Amino acid sequence: MNYFVNRLLYLLVVFVIAISGVFVLVNNMPGDPAYGLAVYIAQQRNMQFEQALEIAHKMMGIDPHESVVTRYVKFMNNLLRGNFGYSTFYNTSVNEIIARALPWTLFVISLATFISFSIGIYLGAFAAQKRGKTIDTLISTLASIIQAIPPFILAVLILFVFSVRFRLLPLGGAYPVDMEPSLSISFIGKVLLHAVGPILAVAIPQMASWTLSMRGNTAQVMEEDFIRFAEMRGLADSVIASKYIRNNAMLPLVASLAIGIGYMLGGQTLVESIFNYPGIGFYFGKAIAVRDFGLLTGLFSLIVIGVIVATFVADFVYALIDPRVKLK
Amino acid sequence: MRKESLKNFYYDYIQPLLVNKKSLIGLIILTFFILMATVGPLIVPLDMTSNFAERYQKPSLKHPFGTDYFGVDIFQQIVHGSRSVISLTMLASFFAVLIGTVIGVARGYLEGIVGRAIDAIIMVFLVIPSFPALLILAAVFMNYNLNVVEIALLVAVWLWAPLAKQISAQVLSLKSKEFVEASKMLNMPLRYILFSDIAKLLIPYIFINFVMQIKGAMEFSVGLMFLGLAKFDPTHWGIMLNYALYQAGALYTAKGFHYIFFIILNIVLLIYGGILLSQGVEEVFNPRLRGNE
Repeated sequence: MNYFVNRLLYLLVVFVIAISGVFVLVNNMPGDPAYGLAVYIAQQRNMQFEQALEIAHKMMGIDPHESVVTRYVKFMNNLLRGNFGYSTFYNTSVNEIIARALPWTLFVISLATFISFSIGIYLGAFAAQKRGKTIDTLISTLASIIQAIPPFILAVLILFVFSVRFRLLPLGGAYPVDMEPSLSISFIGKVLLHAVGPILAVAIPQMASWTLSMRGNTAQVMEEDFIRFAEMRGLADSVIASKYIRNNAMLPLVASLAIGIGYMLGGQTLVESIFNYPGIGFYFGKAIAVRDFGLLTGLFSLIVIGVIVATFVADFVYALIDPRVKLK
Repeated sequence: MRKESLKNFYYDYIQPLLVNKKSLIGLIILTFFILMATVGPLIVPLDMTSNFAERYQKPSLKHPFGTDYFGVDIFQQIVHGSRSVISLTMLASFFAVLIGTVIGVARGYLEGIVGRAIDAIIMVFLVIPSFPALLILAAVFMNYNLNVVEIALLVAVWLWAPLAKQISAQVLSLKSKEFVEASKMLNMPLRYILFSDIAKLLIPYIFINFVMQIKGAMEFSVGLMFLGLAKFDPTHWGIMLNYALYQAGALYTAKGFHYIFFIILNIVLLIYGGILLSQGVEEVFNPRLRGNE
């Protein structure tokens, strides 16, 4: 168990450094942390810069005479108590925004990951078994073309083709604005329909990369001696393919699956913004657009926590599923 | 003598790339875009004046990619924008490789507390989710009107870490090799060992990584521009996409499809060229790298 305690401590240190870095970046810029917000206010409301700066200070809850150190201690103290700060743009606590947004993001991520992982594993293993044949070339070429499409570009394409051109999918949001959230079948149906766009935009590029790495891993495992030995023992091809090859080739992918989920928490900013899907990434994009640095640091802390938890879980899962790694 | 070494360089590094199908196609695509960026603007004039009579014209001989919401020729904008797209991507990849190599070599070679400190820095940058961090950095610097080099640096800050980790592992395995020991025993200066003994073997590796960075650099810079966080060139493809979607609303009218389509086609084709070349380069050079280990 010592290994995990060490690892946890290490990740905690990394977390503190990362969060502090962002805090310093946002709060210790040359000039004033409220400078950006003040410029924005001055532009929006057509007022003098000094006046706008004063408003910006009030909005961000900054006392210009307070030192950065005091602010930092306050911020860290709040964070440790689970208080992610205050959003000036939405005029509410960041915790409330997280409570509102996190379920949508987790919903999209988990479905997209589940779909892309299961299809990617299957396609990758299939392509590797047929190495050199036309079907393999087709799968690998298609996968690397898809990899060349950034997810947000794919989101634009999906929105244009399915929502605008053929009107099969809604234009945005998580559910129709004129509907009250409830557990009725029609509402759940609408929620699923609204999630199709974001899920496809996240899942398709993921699927391509799972396919390519599974293909590579499978090809490598197929060269191993124990596979040849299993063949010599006269085991059925299907048993070798599923029990011996697929399970071993999947092993490293399961660990990166956990890490991948952590990174996706904040990685889908552009996709969620394009679909107006009210998840973490959407609010993150909003916070950037209106320079709401309170919301920004709060959400960023959450994203980093997500990554760190995922990294830790990945270590744990890997030790559990791979008998060669012993828990010490 | 010089001619001989050039010839060797050609047979060692260039010719294998021309034989491999993937890297050849990748090279052709990238050369096409580099020509577009260098020679293109000299041949194709750019006329940005609005002409609402010609709004959303379909592709034709006069307008190969059609016209946009303002009636401006899209092909002209793509050609002129390629200059900032290519320079930004190349510069960002270059910086990322430079930072990654220097830090990676330092981490691999230095021991003790300094080495551990560098290790922690690499770890922090690996754990921080890059794209959100890049957005924060860009938002903070937005009011400073950054130029291409500065934006490239902002992007590179979030790309170098994985490379530094790989390079440090390579250096760690190289530094226990006999020839490095020999240099040490001859009391060669550290500078010589690092740059002459170790760096030389890393060059193909670094080259592969430079090509691999193109995808990330391209995605990050286009995403940044797309969110309107860095506006130094109105014809950068990311900014064109931003205009198409949010200013002109081309997404929501069927007439605007070619507008979005040609911007996306160019972005994806350029990234695909980078991916093909990096796959090809890896196929060609990886056995050689493995041989060094």
